[in-house]
Amino acid sequence: MATNIAAGADTRLWNAEADEHDPISARTFGFWLYLLSDALIFAGLFASYAVLDNSFNAAGGPIAAQIVHPLEGLIQTFAVLGSVLSYSLATVAMKKGSRTGVIHGILGAIVLSGVFLGIGAHDLLGLIAQGDGPDRSGFLSIFFTLIVSHGLHMVFGILWMLVMLVQVARTGFNQDVVGRLLNLRLFWQFQASVWVCVYVYVYLLGGYN
Amino acid sequence: MSNHLSDPLAHAEVQQARVGRYFVAFFSSSILMLLAFVVSQQQKLSYVQFAEALGALLLFTLISQAALFFGLNLSREQIWKSVSLALVVPLFIVTIGFTVVVFASLYARTMIPTDAMSMQPTLLQ
Repeated sequence: MATNIAAGADTRLWNAEADEHDPISARTFGFWLYLLSDALIFAGLFASYAVLDNSFNAAGGPIAAQIVHPLEGLIQTFAVLGSVLSYSLATVAMKKGSRTGVIHGILGAIVLSGVFLGIGAHDLLGLIAQGDGPDRSGFLSIFFTLIVSHGLHMVFGILWMLVMLVQVARTGFNQDVVGRLLNLRLFWQFQASVWVCVYVYVYLLGGYN
Repeated sequence: MSNHLSDPLAHAEVQQARVGRYFVAFFSSSILMLLAFVVSQQQKLSYVQFAEALGALLLFTLISQAALFFGLNLSREQIWKSVSLALVVPLFIVTIGFTVVVFASLYARTMIPTDAMSMQPTLLQ
């Protein structure tokens, strides 16, 4: 006896168990790839620094050992690590749904990064005031470029945090805000990783004499 | 519907935040950098030994930050971040290392040594 089976009745058009689109993971992975490309920009700056960190390129001006202050750099290191810790703790508060905790964590991160930028700006402005600005020599050009590039990342991070303070207070933890807070966590932790490279490479290795 | 699509706070990347892990990351990075500072102040090592010691301390610091701050691991949520980082690190090292080697060779062949060169050793020397 013949059995009638409708054509395609056992055809599965999609996998019912497949992952649904995950907008937050897609955003954080895309931002992570941006950070890796940003790391390669810093690799270019470190390579340039290695080439120009030489008495040939000092043009009679100061070399690294004469302008870097390892102790001040260490204080900056603690400040930036503290800032990253504070922001990371803000994301722990986010996990618990605490807007107040997130806002406090972000404010702590802003204050500590302000300390970091204040020390750095004081150093650079002091060099410029004594005539050792970025136009003095090839070495000072790359020194300023490297330090200021990292400093600008920190400034934009602070601006981003200020925007997130408003968004968290006004809209709470919707999908967009959570995605942005997670990306900002990656961005801020990345600044600490870049800074320890700068500190060891420029302030400590450069301070050897 | 996945839970995190209705509640973004249930997302795995939100849930990975841990107080203890962040504190360990902060203290390990701080102690390693303090150690690097102490080594730099003692001035007992040759330049090459000094560079190697600082390089090792920096490597440990970056590994601790990757594992503890970024939370990178081989879990389903993090594996592609870990893989992409592993693929970029060689580019980072080659970019800097190749430039240093090329210019060290170039300087040795084209620059006239001066007394100023002895003032501060650098990676190029």
